[in-house]
Amino acid sequence: MRTDAELMALYQKGSRDAFEELFARHHRRVIHFCYRMTGDQARAEEAAQEVFLRIARAASTYQPTARFTTWMYTITRRTTLNFLRDEKEPGEKVPIDTTGEGYDATEGISLPGRGDWDPEQVAWEAQLKDKLLEALQKLPEVNRAAFVLNRGEGLSYEEVATVLGVTVQAVKSRIFRARETLLAELSGLVE
Amino acid sequence: MECREIREIISAYVDGEASPEEARRAEEHFGRCPECRAAEKRMRALGVAVVRAEGAVPSDFRENLFARMEKEDLLPKRRSIFAFSLRWAAIPLAAAAALALFVLSSRDVPRDLSSTAMRPPGVAGPAGELSPEDREIVAYLDILEDPDMLDETEIEGMEIFAPSPEQRG
Repeated sequence: MRTDAELMALYQKGSRDAFEELFARHHRRVIHFCYRMTGDQARAEEAAQEVFLRIARAASTYQPTARFTTWMYTITRRTTLNFLRDEKEPGEKVPIDTTGEGYDATEGISLPGRGDWDPEQVAWEAQLKDKLLEALQKLPEVNRAAFVLNRGEGLSYEEVATVLGVTVQAVKSRIFRARETLLAELSGLVE
Repeated sequence: MECREIREIISAYVDGEASPEEARRAEEHFGRCPECRAAEKRMRALGVAVVRAEGAVPSDFRENLFARMEKEDLLPKRRSIFAFSLRWAAIPLAAAAALALFVLSSRDVPRDLSSTAMRPPGVAGPAGELSPEDREIVAYLDILEDPDMLDETEIEGMEIFAPSPEQRG
């Protein structure tokens, strides 16, 4: 299987298949990141489309010395940041549909202390998701990005530091502060 | 160590980012502090909740994106299957056509050009003269070009020339 860097090199030479493969590998992660950062499905979709357009436009500047995912998340974070700055007006938020045809039903992890397929649990998880997204939006953007990149996207502290352009120690502090605030906001929901 | 001081280490410990020394200190602390042990569990649960807070992937997301990219010339357009097949079929088709031409043309080419009977109709022999059979075929060339000129009585009167066994060689 080709690496992301090899696919980028092929795309730089004009390979459509290479870009399609990169898209297939990463579009879900990009959408999820945008969703967690904006808290809104419609904005997340719009931002994610913009991310891939920017990746394509900037492909010639990509150096294989940089890890593709780090480069991709740098673009993704900047794109969502621009979206958040550009859309300061409240706007009507589109309800989150997790049951429709287009929903990607990736298997999740059960939260501790709750049974599966219990209607009460489903309602509780939906409430937790809404509250969590709401609480995430209250965090300073850099703390939110650090926490989401690490916990949501699985990047190491070092990779998060590269994406955010800060030190590993700063990432450690920001993630800790994000956690403290989120746990206070979700008191009673996350035990 | 005060709980307040160690909480940041616990946060890194939950993320698998604490150094071995920090991890040892955190684990020792859990043994004597149920509150920090509970805080560690809440931190882990929060991590799971974030993973589950996923956005939906619309079914037309890819199609919309690729259409925009093609519009901006950021994505080479996919050739149609027909054009692709034709492109790759061109070489074998050309080869087949060449072979067919060769076979068809070689059917009337005499193996022995000195044999008048095997010469194609209308082609003069070495002496520039036509054989009687050739002359008769030439006489019917108009009919070959315009079959409507031929009536049934003429067909019955026509003689079909075929190479004799000796001529077939």
